Amino acid sequence: MTKQEFVEKLREELEFEIILTPDTVLKDVETWDSMGAMILIGFVSDNFGINLTGEEVKRITTIQSLIDKIGDDKFS
Amino acid sequence: MGAKLVAIEYVFGSNMITNADLSKEFPDYDFDNFENKVGIKRRYVVKENETALDLAIKACELLFNRVDKSTIDYIIYCTQSPEYILPTTACLLQNRLALKTNIGAFDFNLGCSGYTYGLAMAKSLINSKQATNVLLVTAETYSKYLNPKDRSNRAIFGDAASCSLITASEVDAMHEFAFGTDGSGYDKLIINNGAARNKYDLLAENIEYGTGNIYTKNELYMNGPEVFNFTSSVIPGFVRDLLAQNDLNIENIDQYIFHQANAFMLNFMRKRLKISEDKFFIDLADGGNTVSNTIPIALKQYSFRLNPLKEQKILLVGFGVGLSWSGGMITIDNNL
Repeated sequence: MTKQEFVEKLREELEFEIILTPDTVLKDVETWDSMGAMILIGFVSDNFGINLTGEEVKRITTIQSLIDKIGDDKFS
Repeated sequence: MGAKLVAIEYVFGSNMITNADLSKEFPDYDFDNFENKVGIKRRYVVKENETALDLAIKACELLFNRVDKSTIDYIIYCTQSPEYILPTTACLLQNRLALKTNIGAFDFNLGCSGYTYGLAMAKSLINSKQATNVLLVTAETYSKYLNPKDRSNRAIFGDAASCSLITASEVDAMHEFAFGTDGSGYDKLIINNGAARNKYDLLAENIEYGTGNIYTKNELYMNGPEVFNFTSSVIPGFVRDLLAQNDLNIENIDQYIFHQANAFMLNFMRKRLKISEDKFFIDLADGGNTVSNTIPIALKQYSFRLNPLKEQKILLVGFGVGLSWSGGMITIDNNL
């Protein structure tokens, strides 16, 4: 999937009502919580086969930093 | 000869707490979203002076309406909410229920993996001819360990007790069991203070975690994302191994009953294992995550949904605090 598709699908999964951009800081989103972290771990695991730990999720700041963590080469 | 699970009873704590009740205390949190994702509508907690043993006694008394209590010759009691540090709560249960004294009784300290462990022990006691009627009790009151401002855990956990009768039988209805342990994750779900390592601290400071949740080291802490990460990475492989051990494939099982931790997590594992929805039990709306009680509660509910009940192959899997996991395949052919 492209980065754009990824960001859109992630927004749907997390049920965010705001527009996500690469610069969006996850923790600044009002509805972000530990359940969101769980959903994020599941989503990344399903789509990229990468199991993020809770600690790694904690260190993620912007959506771009999440994309970097997954790896540029994983996107089309 | 073999062992068979023949009856289950359970009770919840006396006080019901709905999502509407919680949203009065935590008005900024979206409990509709919580209900959709986690699948819990109500949980029950004990009253101030009510304990896990009190709930266990009630559950056992229900069982003794249909089972002769003088036949019980072993008590296995699973709890992390004992009456005292010592003596063993199973001994108190023997006395409160006026069971005979020439019986075995012990506690074991496991959480969400406890029920499947207990079944495996009951099976072993029966197959080795050390017992014929084992009373397996699970009883848990995590509510006593939660900070009032710990919204996440107060929403998830509920108090309950269950009792199961496992009896020697002509047919072997308890098949292969398996176990897993990874103590490196001991601090993912923990009460730090109050036992031998760290004393209960009267001046323990408030610690904030997640989104605005508060706990102190005297209270229960759970790192939800880490527990999810452990479960989703370990349990699917464990289930495949357990099926292989029982010479079965995914589609040979009539119903999968996993520890009812939260609906999102369960669905995630269901999809990963490619199990259809109708073969995978998810119902924690009434009661929430009651730790070692969720599997017996689900098993009883499932057995009453089938009419008529023909023999069912059921795969049970528990996982959680420890970190610890266990599972086994059983067959049932009656309403439990």
